[in-house]
Amino acid sequence: MNIDDYKELKKGGMMRQKEAGRFSVRLHIVGGDLSAEQLRAICDAAEKFGRGTVHLTARQGVEIPNVPTESLAAVKEFLGTTGVGVGVCGPTVRTVTACQGCRVCPSGVIDAPELALAVDREFYGQPVPHKFKVGISGCANNCLKAEENDIGIKGWIEPRWGGKACTFCGICAAVCPSKAIEVSPDQAVVSVSLAGCIGCGDCIESCPTRAMGEGNRGYRLYAGGKFGRVPLLGRKILRILCSPEEVMAAVRSVIEFYRAEGRSRERFGDTLMRTGFPALDSRITERIAESS
Amino acid sequence: MTFVKVKMGLAKIPPAGKLNVLLAEDALKNVISSLKQEGHRVSGVSRQESAFLIVVEKEGERP
Repeated sequence: MNIDDYKELKKGGMMRQKEAGRFSVRLHIVGGDLSAEQLRAICDAAEKFGRGTVHLTARQGVEIPNVPTESLAAVKEFLGTTGVGVGVCGPTVRTVTACQGCRVCPSGVIDAPELALAVDREFYGQPVPHKFKVGISGCANNCLKAEENDIGIKGWIEPRWGGKACTFCGICAAVCPSKAIEVSPDQAVVSVSLAGCIGCGDCIESCPTRAMGEGNRGYRLYAGGKFGRVPLLGRKILRILCSPEEVMAAVRSVIEFYRAEGRSRERFGDTLMRTGFPALDSRITERIAESS
Repeated sequence: MTFVKVKMGLAKIPPAGKLNVLLAEDALKNVISSLKQEGHRVSGVSRQESAFLIVVEKEGERP
């Protein structure tokens, strides 16, 4: 097998191991969701083609290690019958990670798995200058670490203070984890710094009189995060987006931007360091406006 | 645990009765949101140094 053959296999999720003639087969999984039938098929494949073990990756993926070169086509075919595809590697859009979202988790604000499927359907395996990761957290608890991804998405609740019912008790300010609320009983005002707000909604949940209500509920996007050798935390971009359609338009335009501006083997965060974030923001804002 | 204690207090009073609860800041969110979910009302709040004294009105009509 020559180097080009290995490159092709790697693109298709077959990762060459240190041990000659063996590959770790990466599977296509979205948001860590697998049916029991798929899990059984993966176990069967690991026993039939590997050495009876699977590896759970850092981003909700599954790999079957120790598959010999001559079984690569067979393992792909075997798993394909249960709807488990083989993954991708190289300069492509990778596994979309997600929490269980608002249909399962009491803290969930958005339907993270549904959004992950939509992002996966449109972008998984698509070519980009370097690896590109999308992670979706259903709420501000951020279990899926949105800021570590090239695009991170978080469920977000922005509070709005309605003065009438307020007794200026100070509970909203006391529970705010980012200290973004200031209560001034003398002036009969409660001010919320939206720049400091982390979108958790604790102030709304705790308000005894419901004077603190929901302003916007939706999706907060982060761009340019990565881990690896030189980690970068993604930065907040755009306003709060209100629908999955707006999010998809934003992701589409982020990827277009990366394809246009990114250099080969340059992570998106490094591209943004060169271009600056305002260039990205204005490009996406135009695109969302066109799509709505 | 704090909410369990509050519930035990509420179990001892009649519907629409009032219960004073002294809460540390870190218990505020869980206790108040749970009370609201179960239909009780927080009818008074006052600051007591580093804690909050809240008045909880038990759900239901006065017997």
